[in-house]
Amino acid sequence: MRRISMALGMTAVVLSAQAPPPYTRTLETYTVPDLVLVNQDGAKVKLKGLLDSGEPIILDFIFGTCTTICPVLSAGYANLQAKLPPGGPKIHLVSISIDPENDTPKVMRDYLKRYRAKPGWDFFTGRREDIDKVMNAFNAYIPNKMSHYPLTLIRDPKTGKWIRIFGLMSSSEFMAECKKAGLL
Amino acid sequence: MSSRPEPGAFRRLLAPLLGVLLLATPALAQVKPAPAAAELTSEQKLVLGERMYRQGILPSGEPMSSIVSGDVQVAGTSFSCVSCHLRGGLGSWEGGIVTLPTNAARLSIPRYWKFPNLSLEERKELKLQNPPARPAYTDATLAHLIRTGRDPGGTDMHPVMPRYYLSDPDMAILLHYLANLSARHSPGVIGDTLHFATVITPEVSVDDQQAMLVPINNYVKRHNQFSAGFGNRMYLGVGGNEMSGAYRKMALSVWRLQGAPDTWGRQLEAFLAKDPVFAMLGGISYGDWKPVHDFCERSQLPCLFPITDLPAVSDTDWYTQYFSKGYYQEGQAAARYLNGLDNPAAARKVLQLVQDTPQGRALAQGFREAWAELGQPPIKELPLPREGALDASGLAAILDQEKPSTVLLWTGDSIYPALDALLRKGPTPVNGFLSARLLGAQVTSLPEQVRAHVWITYPYREPHLEPKFSAYADTLLAGLTKRHPETRVSTRTYAMVQVLRQALMDMDRHFYRDNLLDRIGMQRDQILPDYLRLSFGPGQRYASKGCYIMQVGPGATPVLVRKSEWVIH
Ligand code: HEC
Repeated sequence: MRRISMALGMTAVVLSAQAPPPYTRTLETYTVPDLVLVNQDGAKVKLKGLLDSGEPIILDFIFGTCTTICPVLSAGYANLQAKLPPGGPKIHLVSISIDPENDTPKVMRDYLKRYRAKPGWDFFTGRREDIDKVMNAFNAYIPNKMSHYPLTLIRDPKTGKWIRIFGLMSSSEFMAECKKAGLL
Repeated sequence: MSSRPEPGAFRRLLAPLLGVLLLATPALAQVKPAPAAAELTSEQKLVLGERMYRQGILPSGEPMSSIVSGDVQVAGTSFSCVSCHLRGGLGSWEGGIVTLPTNAARLSIPRYWKFPNLSLEERKELKLQNPPARPAYTDATLAHLIRTGRDPGGTDMHPVMPRYYLSDPDMAILLHYLANLSARHSPGVIGDTLHFATVITPEVSVDDQQAMLVPINNYVKRHNQFSAGFGNRMYLGVGGNEMSGAYRKMALSVWRLQGAPDTWGRQLEAFLAKDPVFAMLGGISYGDWKPVHDFCERSQLPCLFPITDLPAVSDTDWYTQYFSKGYYQEGQAAARYLNGLDNPAAARKVLQLVQDTPQGRALAQGFREAWAELGQPPIKELPLPREGALDASGLAAILDQEKPSTVLLWTGDSIYPALDALLRKGPTPVNGFLSARLLGAQVTSLPEQVRAHVWITYPYREPHLEPKFSAYADTLLAGLTKRHPETRVSTRTYAMVQVLRQALMDMDRHFYRDNLLDRIGMQRDQILPDYLRLSFGPGQRYASKGCYIMQVGPGATPVLVRKSEWVIH
């Protein structure tokens, strides 16, 4: 613990003393694991079918009681939904819980309501083993949910590759990334 | 120590006065605006400020609005100060982003890059020369920070700290709240000692009392011996000094309750008045914990991991951190398991037979509420006659009458002789559910012929895996002569001590009751005795989220066969 609190102190120095770190962007190939998750309505959904359907997809990892990062990621999702032109292209926003024990369908429904999520933003929970598999498949595995980091994955509908964005984006940066990926 | 009640107290004080405002939900249109800030008393401002901080709602009843990450619009109803800075205001750390403290004690002094927890006196003593990152805030500089993100040291905050649009009167209310948020240590921090209490209700056996008290007292003793290590601060270096400033000895009082449960609240209030403690550690009761739970809510007194299987179940109460929802959680697990079965025939018609005890009622309530949450229609519930009074023909008559596909039998092993009734009717037997906790050691003597048709709710780790996790807990039991592992009292106490030890370190020198609970909320998952996993999060108050569904295997010394995940979705 002592080491941790020292480490915390140092992180604080770095972050507060500097301009916010710009996000990084890489292009990745991921294999979506074949497993079933549960959405906010309690429905069982095959992840592979969902993510490989060819529709425009954005994915992130959050949890219902998360501080700092998830609120900001989710505010980004909510803003994106608000900015999508009506009748225009649909983007399926997918959030996957990294606290599957606490995130029941009801917790996830309440969370989405708080962000005024519109249809097209789904929140998934599942068996811990399966959630671990999903995190691993996207090179996002963390053993402790509190050391969770901000990650947004945009699937390029043409190539099936994933644009991996590490860090927090502004709303205009998020729109620009969606355009660049051909989602808009 | 201050006699000033903490902000939450004003909520109760003012509830009648501001009832309209406090009840305000996002349906805000009809809400009356609050009077202008200048006309408000300090207490009214605290109530309104607390609502801004915790719920993101302006005095007018409208959501606060802000900008995060440069240009992302956020409504206060999505998240508010408390989401990042937490209830005590000491902030959080997540994924490399540090949310700085925003409590009064810290805002009113300069902030330093290095060793930020040292007091100004300690800095002087240690001859630290480095200039602060920012000076102490004034109302004007704090308002500027909240609006623009630029602190009075000239640093722009990380863009996850929102920039808030606030009128001057609203800002004044928020600043008043911040000026009182974790401003002075909570009660129970007396000199160099943190005072704690534990509570024992009258019916608890001496062996069970000892099984809890011995491990806690051993821990307190060891913790206090550790103080020797901080004897000479000269040799500690700056970091060591910063840490040793957070060290306090511990003292533990034992509060023994007497008489009827409806008098416990008053007894506890008298104990607390005489002996103001910082928090309660553990506590043990065989009955309903609610009287103690309610006392803790009223007194804003944290209570960590009481040994009870009948906790108060609430989404919003704050002060008691439980291991699990107890019997209620077993009922919940039964509902989720039944709902998720691939073969829906078992869920076609469900009947609950409920013994008239707190345990039976909690099991039934857990099932009923989870079943409704899953979108299932209401089910029939019948009271069970007193222990042992239902035989096979009695149960058969009920089953004939109600024709359920599954019957929940929330009672003890006195029901065993009646279980043949499950097999008698129709082409397929009726499925049964029983609670392992209610059956106790008798769980494995379930009549062999019904084992294939009876599911058991089992709220602990699989028995054959448990010894590995409980063995170490034994080392804390030195001095305990009679051991009853089956009660899980000492192993649960051991688990409480593990979480407490971490929480005390994380709390650092910020001795505020809410901060203690905030630090537990930020703890990583723990693998400890009894429960497969304990997990935490801000406001999460039931650390074990799981409960297995088991079946009893064949033979005279059967094993329990796991039929479900630990957490059933
Ligand atoms: C989404 C998370 C988030 C929310 C919501 C939030 N903050 Fe912050 N706040 C932060 C972070 C992160 C920092 C530290 C930024 C840095 O170090 O660059 C911070 C810094 C601060 C500071 C500066 C502390 C200092 O020592 O200079 C104050 C004061 C503050 N916040 C008050 C508030 C108040 C009041 C609210 C609600 C009206 C609020 N914050 C809402 C994340 C948040």
